[in-house]
Amino acid sequence: MKRCIVLGKPNVGKTLLVLGLADYMKVKDVDITFQDPGGARYSRKYPVDVAMRELVGALPHQTKCLQSFSLEFRVGKGKKAVELIDTCGLTQQIHDDPLTRKAMAQTLSAIRGAEIIIHVIDAHFLGSVDVLSDPTEVDLDMQLAAFAGPRGGYCIVANKMDLPGANRGLARIRRLFTGYKVLPVSAATREGFKEVKRHVLRNL
Amino acid sequence: MPAFESRNPDLVLVGLEEGRLSAVEAIQALSTSCDSHTKKRQTDTESPDSSEWRLREALSELDSLIGLTAVKALVRELVAYVKIQQIREMRQLASEALVLHMVFSGNPGTGKTTCARLMGKIFREMGVLEKGHLVERERADLVGEYIGHTAQKTREQIKKALGGILFIDEAYSLATGGEKDFGKESISTLIKAMEDNKDKFIVILAGYREEMTKFIQSNPGIRSRFPIHIEFPDYTTEELMLIADLMLKKRDYRLDVAARAKLEAQLSRNLGTDSDHSGNARLVRNIIERAIRRQALRLVDKKQLTREELMLIRREDIEYNHEAVYRFG
Repeated sequence: MKRCIVLGKPNVGKTLLVLGLADYMKVKDVDITFQDPGGARYSRKYPVDVAMRELVGALPHQTKCLQSFSLEFRVGKGKKAVELIDTCGLTQQIHDDPLTRKAMAQTLSAIRGAEIIIHVIDAHFLGSVDVLSDPTEVDLDMQLAAFAGPRGGYCIVANKMDLPGANRGLARIRRLFTGYKVLPVSAATREGFKEVKRHVLRNL
Repeated sequence: MPAFESRNPDLVLVGLEEGRLSAVEAIQALSTSCDSHTKKRQTDTESPDSSEWRLREALSELDSLIGLTAVKALVRELVAYVKIQQIREMRQLASEALVLHMVFSGNPGTGKTTCARLMGKIFREMGVLEKGHLVERERADLVGEYIGHTAQKTREQIKKALGGILFIDEAYSLATGGEKDFGKESISTLIKAMEDNKDKFIVILAGYREEMTKFIQSNPGIRSRFPIHIEFPDYTTEELMLIADLMLKKRDYRLDVAARAKLEAQLSRNLGTDSDHSGNARLVRNIIERAIRRQALRLVDKKQLTREELMLIRREDIEYNHEAVYRFG
């Protein structure tokens, strides 16, 4: 089974993107496996809407371990399953909480095994700060793109396109990340999911 | 950042975990080291280096436990055995199927669960178990209330344990209920599942020594399927003191000389009483946690506190009261 990892800074909408994709593909239940940094695993089956309610939140760092589930894509006449891996957000500074730090290390080590990498960036946020003159806010994203970009199956998802200022953010992302594939998406309204699905399919 | 760190991706991740590196620095370090890594990217999560590393970590965790010499030796034996069997298989020599079901006997608080948990980790890293998680269950989780319920309940728990270890505490109680007891049904369901899912999980039966011996002697089916017996002896007073030191060190406390003597006297006095709780690490933990609370009570009204005072457990903090300690046990 190919693995598709979703990464980015905290609170950019990684979990909502993953669960939204399941919803977009008309999946009713997801069997989510939580793998905490210590190596313990535990899995739970949720209806997608319940999972969204419980796992998605307005505060950063809702996800503190790898959360994965498999999703079937129709390829020709058959089906292929992809393991979607949702990860803990990466922060610019050294984080105070050791558990979160461990989860971040887990995120980075999971990149190594993934065939498809979706890098989520908050277009709404980038639309509201002037990153072109002060690029510290995107330092981590730039590093991440340089690290994960050459690995193949990589794309950037500019999320939160339904919020004000996101178009300006999208333009800035396109300017900063030239050469990478950028997909404008709103995980909340499921806009742009067609392209995300196509990106996954193309790399199967 | 030292150069050796940037070359080993595992160390970079440790640096991130321990807060020495930020995510940005870690990614940078990984990017420089990934040139050699991109080549073997496909197999990287399963790379022998990192699982070997985790195995070493789990083994050293086991070694850091006080006492338990017999257990440690046995685990080393098993690790070597599994490795050699895997190599033999690769070279296409006859290799035996691994039967790793175990019986742990010993009093409460002698380290049975702790060891089982570590074994799960170790076996996962060695590729014997898929997940290596520990599912800890007792009679009430396995035995049902009406006819046919037991098999269903037992099977459910087994399903949860697939890929890991099913740890059944006080396992002898499955056989002590008499002719009509449903415990027997649970045992036969378990045995059936062990045959059906041979390589998928490990069953550990745990309990007091005498009861477990009787239980296993009376069940030929069980005896033959559990080739490994590990006895967990009670800790000696010296071992208990080492455990106490370790617990205090982890919590940033220490004993003064008088407190040490008092604790030692109490532990050895208790050892003589031959109760179930003698030689028991849980007893030490309870005494220490109580001492920490009493120390807090002694210090709480003081105006000025030094670092030293906050760390020191004095003689008067250690109180040993049978009932109080047992209630927490």
